[in-house]
Amino acid sequence: MGNQPVESRSVFWSAIAAILPLSLAVVPWGVLTGALAIQAGFSVMQAQCLSLLVFAGAAQISGISMISAGVAAPSIWGSTVVISSRHLLYSIVFRSHIDGLSFGKRVVLAFVLTDEMFVVSEAHTRKTGAFSYLFALVSGFTFYVIWNLATLVGILAAGRFDQLGSYGLDFAIVATFIAMTFDQLSSHPEILTVLVAGAAAVLLKPYLHESYILVASLMGMAVGYGLSQRKDSTVDSRGGSS
Amino acid sequence: MMIWWIIYGMAVITFLNRYFFLAKSISIKPSESFRRFLSFSSLAVLTALWTPIVFRMETDLSWSIAGWDYLLASVIAVALCLARASSLLVVVVSTTAFFLLRAFL
Repeated sequence: MGNQPVESRSVFWSAIAAILPLSLAVVPWGVLTGALAIQAGFSVMQAQCLSLLVFAGAAQISGISMISAGVAAPSIWGSTVVISSRHLLYSIVFRSHIDGLSFGKRVVLAFVLTDEMFVVSEAHTRKTGAFSYLFALVSGFTFYVIWNLATLVGILAAGRFDQLGSYGLDFAIVATFIAMTFDQLSSHPEILTVLVAGAAAVLLKPYLHESYILVASLMGMAVGYGLSQRKDSTVDSRGGSS
Repeated sequence: MMIWWIIYGMAVITFLNRYFFLAKSISIKPSESFRRFLSFSSLAVLTALWTPIVFRMETDLSWSIAGWDYLLASVIAVALCLARASSLLVVVVSTTAFFLLRAFL
């Protein structure tokens, strides 16, 4: 630990560089989350704690809208379970990287595990061939800090952002995710994964509420995996090298 | 007070979903093929997150594109990606194009 300061410093900065565009892209959503919470009757403390403790944009926004619609707590928690279930997938993936980690480090890693952190960390793992705990932690906490600052701005400015959702600021998220998707595309199974997961998400969303993300992802992964298996066996039967 | 309990409940639920498979007591040893299956997860999740924002489908199966501004700006983003532009350039140019399309369409 720490015997390669130069290397860890470069990991530190590359983690920040990787997560920064994504963090900035969700600033409007953080602001919106803070403003919506105040409008739904949260106190300043409650609105900030929602971001500090829950730290999950989709779950927060749907929770806030359910509270303001007068929905009972168990139903709100139920939808939180469904919306955040995709993190199970991320923790399975990370599990295969973290054999030696202590309990404390696992808890910290879990706390800052988000869609964005998972995506940049996995991209880093694929690029360098090894999972970096430092990279995951730095990207996760950078995202955490920016998300909470954005929430604070929304809380302070509540009332002036009524129409924020309709400005279409979600396109910044789309653009970031498109760039990241194409950044990772390099083989036929991966292209098929994208096509299947994308089509399934569009078609299933009206029926599955928020669990469409999980279901569509699993479908895309199954197709990608199936195709990569077949490709391997073709190579093997041709006597290709391992 | 109710709001605090809802917040605590949501915090516990999201944390447990994040922590579940990281726990040492959950003994799963992913096989090589399972890992390969999971290696497609980030791509798949990413795609599943952004496609429904661009293309929206209603339960009566009527297609609706979220707006031509979304679609055109997405096409620009994809074109820039195919031209091997850097991620930052893709985001800045296509988001700028999006707001211009919004303002003038």
